[in-house]
Amino acid sequence: MNTNLKISNITKIYPGCVANENVSLEFNSGKIYALLGENGAGKSTLVKILSGVIIPDEGEIYLNENNLKLNSPLDAKKNDIGMVFQHFNLFETLSVFENLIIDSDEPRETLREKIDSIMKKYNFSIDLDIPVLNLSAGQKQKVEIIRCLIRSPKVLIMDEPTSVLTEQETSELFLSLKKFSEEGILIIYITHKLKEVMQLCDEVAVMRRGKLVSVSQIKNENIESLANKMVGQNLKTIKKKKEKTSSDQLINITNLNFISEDPFETNLNDINFSVNRGECLGIAGISGNGQSELFQVLSGEILSNKNSIEFNKNYIGDLNPQERREYMMAFSPEDRLEQAAIPQMAIFENVALNNFKSSNFFNNGLINENKIKEHSKKIISEFNVNTDNIELKSQFLSGGNLQKLIIGRELITSPDLLICFNPTWGLDVGAINYIHETLIKINEQNKSIILISTDTDELLKLSDKISVIHKGKLSKIMNADEVTSKKLGILMGGGN
Amino acid sequence: MIIDINFVGLIIASIMASAVPLILASCGELITERSGVLNLGVEGMMIIGAISGFALMTVTGSLIIAVFGAMLAGVLISTIFAFLTQTLITNHVATGLALTIFGIGISAMIGKNFVGIPGKEFPVLFEGLKDTMPLLSPILFGHSVVFYFAFALPFITSYFLKKTKIGLIVRAVGDSPESASNQGINVKFVRYACILYGGAMCGLAGAYLSMIYTPQWIENMTGGRGWIALALVVFSTWNPIKILIGAMIFGGLTIIQFHMQAIGVRIPVQFLTALPYIVTIIVLVVISRDSRKIRLSTPSSLGKSFYKDN
Repeated sequence: MNTNLKISNITKIYPGCVANENVSLEFNSGKIYALLGENGAGKSTLVKILSGVIIPDEGEIYLNENNLKLNSPLDAKKNDIGMVFQHFNLFETLSVFENLIIDSDEPRETLREKIDSIMKKYNFSIDLDIPVLNLSAGQKQKVEIIRCLIRSPKVLIMDEPTSVLTEQETSELFLSLKKFSEEGILIIYITHKLKEVMQLCDEVAVMRRGKLVSVSQIKNENIESLANKMVGQNLKTIKKKKEKTSSDQLINITNLNFISEDPFETNLNDINFSVNRGECLGIAGISGNGQSELFQVLSGEILSNKNSIEFNKNYIGDLNPQERREYMMAFSPEDRLEQAAIPQMAIFENVALNNFKSSNFFNNGLINENKIKEHSKKIISEFNVNTDNIELKSQFLSGGNLQKLIIGRELITSPDLLICFNPTWGLDVGAINYIHETLIKINEQNKSIILISTDTDELLKLSDKISVIHKGKLSKIMNADEVTSKKLGILMGGGN
Repeated sequence: MIIDINFVGLIIASIMASAVPLILASCGELITERSGVLNLGVEGMMIIGAISGFALMTVTGSLIIAVFGAMLAGVLISTIFAFLTQTLITNHVATGLALTIFGIGISAMIGKNFVGIPGKEFPVLFEGLKDTMPLLSPILFGHSVVFYFAFALPFITSYFLKKTKIGLIVRAVGDSPESASNQGINVKFVRYACILYGGAMCGLAGAYLSMIYTPQWIENMTGGRGWIALALVVFSTWNPIKILIGAMIFGGLTIIQFHMQAIGVRIPVQFLTALPYIVTIIVLVVISRDSRKIRLSTPSSLGKSFYKDN
């Protein structure tokens, strides 16, 4: 049977923010629909309304001509609407099986059979009796999907499902989604990743600032046209001018090893590379292959042999991050809210964390607040952070603004080398573009970058040289213009 | 010296009797905490149960009314806690401490008229079988119905949490109230219910003290047992069976150190009095030291307020 889902004139207003304004859309089964928009465009609000988590101020939802009143997630489930949330809705300490049966009234044996047959049908293999906290992100997502499938849904909504998945897991997910669609489940796919929309979906609805801006067939669109609709202006395509870089060596890593006692960390095995002034070295790899350890060794969170890192003709392997900063190194870690900034502290307090002897943020043990605030305002205006309030807690900044603040904090002292790890992870197109432009600019000022990233497109765009990390070992260093994403893919998988 | 084997049986029985209020209060608090609510008002709810039970027994003369009245009193006072923490979203720790202070104060006020009044005898079960077996008889027979209930409770609680649908929901709410709410579970309702249940068990524990264990009313007669019960829940890593073990060790050492003091063992009294606290905690820490199991049985949302934002 065909499923027809219609939403008409949905409006949801929060104090100071219109999350959805008069949104009307129609979906039919057999197709995969993309709901595309930047962070904060209102797409998550819309799907939360569809799944009963949020109640709209105005508007109607019709499923096969029936007007639905969704006052709770239970109502959505009863009406065969299943939803996989961006942040998993799982109970970490309960077993997989317990997670799956919690919302069902059928006896346990029937459910176990049902789950087994679903897993068989879609080729999922997950141990049902281990606690969820032992699963990988991809497996957790499968648990969420199975939980929806148990109820044989007519509609399946996926909210940014790939943000935590590896590339392998992403392609597995896409296969499953296509299969569900063929079986008549209506699929709504929420994302801000344009490539995925092009790969997976049939129709796309674009949202911007709470409003629906366009609905179109994928075959009439391309990545640029979608990006422009999403951002609402023509994006400049940035391209790096490939100049001949200097041969003046800035940092030289020789025989760097790291052996971890933690079984969940990756050991680093005989790392050797060097970076010249004005150069960007990209380090590619599938996450979990030692990038995090490499970043920590380079930043001084993990100390190493003094002679293994030579920076600006000084041996600094045994120095901590603060001391390395004094030698004009700067760092932008992967996890913005855990490692780079302290969420509960104000913007200016976070700025003060990057403190140099010369910056005079502290006088005789007292905080020189005026000085720090002045400095923070400078960063905010120079790096386009979209807020005037430097007393704002950093957790309330959007990902893009926070990343701009962090990069700004690091770059305002014009360091010789910036080491960054996944600087654009989870950001929207506008913010990504800004960060990329900034990184290119510092190369042009004859400063260097080590860019550790899991995004190969980003690496190919920004790097002068590229190496691949696999199981804690670096591949040989290649010139970026000789490398294709296909070749990187092979090296990332451990091939030659 | 010949040790009478029946005397050993009697000592074990008295150890078990002293463990009863700890088991009842801990098992109640365990359910509350498993749903993610930290109620530090155990001591207060116990003392309210103690005075309510004793007062109702004296006034009405009915033991049944007294026991259920004490449980109801525990429910009522925990309703205050539930309303404050779940509806008004106050801080669990501060509210729980206030509840204990409130309970101690109000019980002393009500209790003024009941000081010095003798209690009633509480009927015991299986009294006829008391002399049938050496050692075992005094342990197994001749106790109040509350005593038997207390020793069944850890097993019932364990079964409830592991095997029943409602137990699963309680654990789920304690693990992640956000996810539970998104799954359509009424988190506030579940937490209210768990808090009230905890209150009822603490009320019963109090009633046991003032009506059965030492049948009289003395101001502040719970004497810190509520805090011990709280500690047992945490150090048992939210495992009802380990609560039973902990309560027995604590009760045992309390009784034995009394006997040792009486015999005149040359160990400082202060050390003997502190012994049950120290040993109980050490034993529970040792038997619960598997960090993976701790992670799995600790309610992740313990003490955190949850409210739905629509």
